[in-house]
Amino acid sequence: MIRKNYVFKHWQLYVMLILPMAYFIVFKYMPIYGVQIAFKDFNVFKGISASEWVGLEVFKDIFSQKGFYVALRNTFMLNGLDLVIGFPAPIILAICLNELRFQKFKKIAQTMLYLPHFISWVIIGGIVYQVFATNYGMINLLLENIGIGPIPFLSEKSAWLATYTSVGVWQSVGWGSIIYLAAITGINKELYEAAEVDGASRLRRIWHITIPGIRTTIIVLFILKIGDMVDIGFDRPFIIGNVMVREYSDVLSTYIYRIGLQSGQFSTATAVGLFQAVVGLVFILTANYVSKKTTDEGII
Amino acid sequence: MQRTSKFSLFDIINTLFIVFCVILCLAPFLHILSVSLSSNAPIMSGKVTIYPIDMNFDAYARVFSDATMIRSLIFTIILTVIFTGAAMVMTTMAAYSLSINNLKGKQLFMFIIVFTMFFSGGLIPEYLLMKDLKLLDNILVLILPGLISPFYMIIMVTFFRSTIPESLNEAAEIDGCSDFGKLFRIVLPLSLPVIATLSLFYAVGRWNGFRDALFYITDQNLYPLQQKLYQMVMNNMISEVTLSEGANAIAAEYMPESLKAASIMFATVPILIVYPWLQRYFVSGLTLGSVKG
Amino acid sequence: MKALKRVGSLLFTVTLCFALIAGCSSNSSSNSNKGSSSSSTNNNQGSSNSGSKERVTLKIEVFDRGNAPEGLTVTNNLMTQYIQENFGDPNNIDVEFVAIPRSEEINSLNVQMAAGTAPDLIFTYNEGAAYSWAQQGGLTDLGPIVDEHGPNLKEYLANSLQYGVFEGTQYAVVARRVNLQKYSSLIRKDWLDQLGLPVPTTTEETYEALKAFKENNLGGQRTIPFGFALSPDSYEPVIWSFINEQSDEARYLRSITIGSREYPILMDGHKDALQFLNKLYSEGLLDPDFALDKDKKKKEENFVNGYTGIYSFDTGQVFGNGENSGVMTLEGNVEGAEVVPVLPWTDFEGKSRQPAYNPSGMYIMVPTFSERAVEAIKYLNWMAQDEVIQYMSFGEVGVHHDVVNGYPVRNSSEEDQKLLFNPGDMLIITNGIDFGSSEKNNEYMALSVVEKHRDLATLSREYSDKDAVSQPIRFEKPLDSEAKYSVIMLEKYEELLVKSIMAKPDSFDQTYEVALKDFMDTAGTEVIQERTAMYEAMK
Repeated sequence: MIRKNYVFKHWQLYVMLILPMAYFIVFKYMPIYGVQIAFKDFNVFKGISASEWVGLEVFKDIFSQKGFYVALRNTFMLNGLDLVIGFPAPIILAICLNELRFQKFKKIAQTMLYLPHFISWVIIGGIVYQVFATNYGMINLLLENIGIGPIPFLSEKSAWLATYTSVGVWQSVGWGSIIYLAAITGINKELYEAAEVDGASRLRRIWHITIPGIRTTIIVLFILKIGDMVDIGFDRPFIIGNVMVREYSDVLSTYIYRIGLQSGQFSTATAVGLFQAVVGLVFILTANYVSKKTTDEGII
Repeated sequence: MQRTSKFSLFDIINTLFIVFCVILCLAPFLHILSVSLSSNAPIMSGKVTIYPIDMNFDAYARVFSDATMIRSLIFTIILTVIFTGAAMVMTTMAAYSLSINNLKGKQLFMFIIVFTMFFSGGLIPEYLLMKDLKLLDNILVLILPGLISPFYMIIMVTFFRSTIPESLNEAAEIDGCSDFGKLFRIVLPLSLPVIATLSLFYAVGRWNGFRDALFYITDQNLYPLQQKLYQMVMNNMISEVTLSEGANAIAAEYMPESLKAASIMFATVPILIVYPWLQRYFVSGLTLGSVKG
Repeated sequence: MKALKRVGSLLFTVTLCFALIAGCSSNSSSNSNKGSSSSSTNNNQGSSNSGSKERVTLKIEVFDRGNAPEGLTVTNNLMTQYIQENFGDPNNIDVEFVAIPRSEEINSLNVQMAAGTAPDLIFTYNEGAAYSWAQQGGLTDLGPIVDEHGPNLKEYLANSLQYGVFEGTQYAVVARRVNLQKYSSLIRKDWLDQLGLPVPTTTEETYEALKAFKENNLGGQRTIPFGFALSPDSYEPVIWSFINEQSDEARYLRSITIGSREYPILMDGHKDALQFLNKLYSEGLLDPDFALDKDKKKKEENFVNGYTGIYSFDTGQVFGNGENSGVMTLEGNVEGAEVVPVLPWTDFEGKSRQPAYNPSGMYIMVPTFSERAVEAIKYLNWMAQDEVIQYMSFGEVGVHHDVVNGYPVRNSSEEDQKLLFNPGDMLIITNGIDFGSSEKNNEYMALSVVEKHRDLATLSREYSDKDAVSQPIRFEKPLDSEAKYSVIMLEKYEELLVKSIMAKPDSFDQTYEVALKDFMDTAGTEVIQERTAMYEAMK
């Protein structure tokens, strides 16, 4: 009864939802039948329906390969590093930018800082090599000049992790800070004024006003990030990675890539994708649940 | 934000830090710019760092005299504008409804949307769908499938919920304002930062994206600029055919690095200037003296 | 609330089911389209035998490289018009070109095959992909059609057609490849002169020269005696020179085809080869960062900057691009630099034994759902005529090309660039232009090089022909395991290479064995087993 009343009373809200929902159904849900491919021996010419059903064979094949687990482990490891280092970075940058005194400089700086986001990974790869190569890279040449030996940024596994993460931060921090800057503008300026009058220092003001002020944004973006933990882009690991660090650089996306052109490629790729989807969904629902219980914020 | 004019140590360190970051982010870009303005020999010898050597504008002359590049640029601008507008309308409609705490069925709708962030049919079913909807080689195929990003929609919902005070809404309702009215008169004017941000995100996403066009578009008049660029940069890395060109390479030139770099600049600079233009919207709407307390 | 949740989940499930059903039906409808068209193919072939009177459309693939000249598109230009006028109109066919992006060609074709929208005539350089489509039953048997409608074609492709036969069926028409030289090497003559050394002709002499280069730092601080990157043009010639068994049987049973190259992994001498490279590395004769140089840019950079003593490359690469060639840039950067061709590596018989290409180029195919197989073959057959080949490669004399030394040389005029911006992608039945003999072809290739380096380039090409062995050795069809593991095997092999080369000399043995075992366990053993079985069956 209450339900019906609500819908009637707020019919406009539901009308506003019609087109978006139609969009999702047509463009997102209608193709979903394609996940069947993960359970079939997909033949590109027979099509999805007529391809032979093989049940869980594809999954069994994948789960029996050591390479899959290495790729899975690396995916979590690299994403974990990105989370620990790459998640706070844009927040810190946004706060620092916000604290700049010269408005003109702030505007210019913002535009410069997101430039890396626009450079394609193919180009970045070339630059990374020039800068970080072990023996004749720019940085190591410099280090040699001042007496420190070369650091194997790209050729040693653990050092490579640092390089991978740093390059990722460099590429995304400027762009990622935009959303936080937008959130910061939503904070009531009077709070700052009041705090200053009360004698709070800059750092205290940041800690007690800015950060809590964007708390919701941070939490929501964090939950979304957790949902992405099992997903990983192809470009960065592939391009920054190399033969010597494959043990760490091989991830689920590159794992799918090496499956090559045998006829089973679609089935395997879809199966891995399905695995990632299920795990990802579980992650995000869990994160959402925990967040709602602890902070009362969530996305669903 | 500028109240006192006392310049503290914090400011100095902060400014230096930002300058350092700016240099790091600017350098590679300067490198590409320099390559686009340099001659071939220094580039091949790896001598070009962040300033041009043997500077010339040949590469840019070629790019700007290529009518297909210009046409693609114009097409991409139009496409991006239309797409961003449509996407923002759809996203805002969905986000506003879903930001109402009491909306019945809200959790269900959110779940349906979040679900699509993870599960998708894959390339082949999506292609078949576009084919069945007769969208192939149609500008709509570059607009419709990406109309709502659940990620951005969630950001908007979050923003609505956390920045628009409940009190405002209640006041409006008492005044007899409908849901539509609340959206247009209260929420939107106060949401300029998030609207500007998401518009930027959608615009950049559409501008930089070409993977969909790679498969769905064969009509070269409908190629997004980045696709032309990608082909230019990637296609010349395939060795079998460049070898087969053999003597035909007398007239057919290899793609000079400077031309690639100039094309990259050509395809990137237009979208870069969108953000500075949008920055003026990054002001809080709440300072317009709305509700006290 | 609970009831709402139940309704909600019911709604959701219903939506999902609806999606599945809707999806299934749309898919089956496109399947049924394919079904009906394959039956009508038979009908059409019958009628076109008797001279079809209705105008039909033939869709042909063309690569899109983003380089069409102004005002033209890759699907509608002077060349496509020529084809329509000279092939299409006389045969009552509307020729339509479909652009496929070069960089995504396999994915693009796969998707279009699945949707039944692929062109009638498709092609790829990727044998694995061609075979995969054949295996899935998606390619038309072109044998009988070529027999009936392609006499010119059959004659023109006498050497290469066999490469498109899988298990007795001609699934692909394979273009001929004219220039079979694969790799070349150059050495710094001015460095040799400084040291009073002759151009090395054996592996030992090469080694001595490399050592001397290093000891005397002839390229400055960053002297790299042997320009080496993690790419086949660097390692293939070296490794093959160490192989002590070159019989067909040994190659069938102990080498593995990865992609389009043959790797003698289990052959006698393979370990020695890697040990030699290990020695070179530990003595500082290779670029220490070679394993990071994935796109070979650094190798080239080192060469043009004058740091490199011996430079190996894909034949022709360093002379290409006219004034901006690698050799020109080197001479511009380093005064007195002079390079000559060299055959650095000799095997147990004193021969070079370098890899050479098989005489096969592109794989050209017709999907089964296409109704235009006959028209497609007719097109290729038409193309296999001298005057057509001539025009599609050089255009008209005086307009697009001039005759130099008896050879048609394109003149880079506006006309030339408009007509011939993509001859390699249009003249698909040949990869390179054939003037009748190897000497003539080499002479012709040299014409694209700046005049002062022409002799050098020709000599370099001749060197690449010496004792060259066609690779890979073929079975009667591609191997399933090799197709499946091609990328993995390449990665594992690179690991084997890099780890063995960079290991400390005393741990070389162990490192090599461990990495080899990894390779075999991952894929190698399975592949060798399949090769052995197929070899036995062949005998």
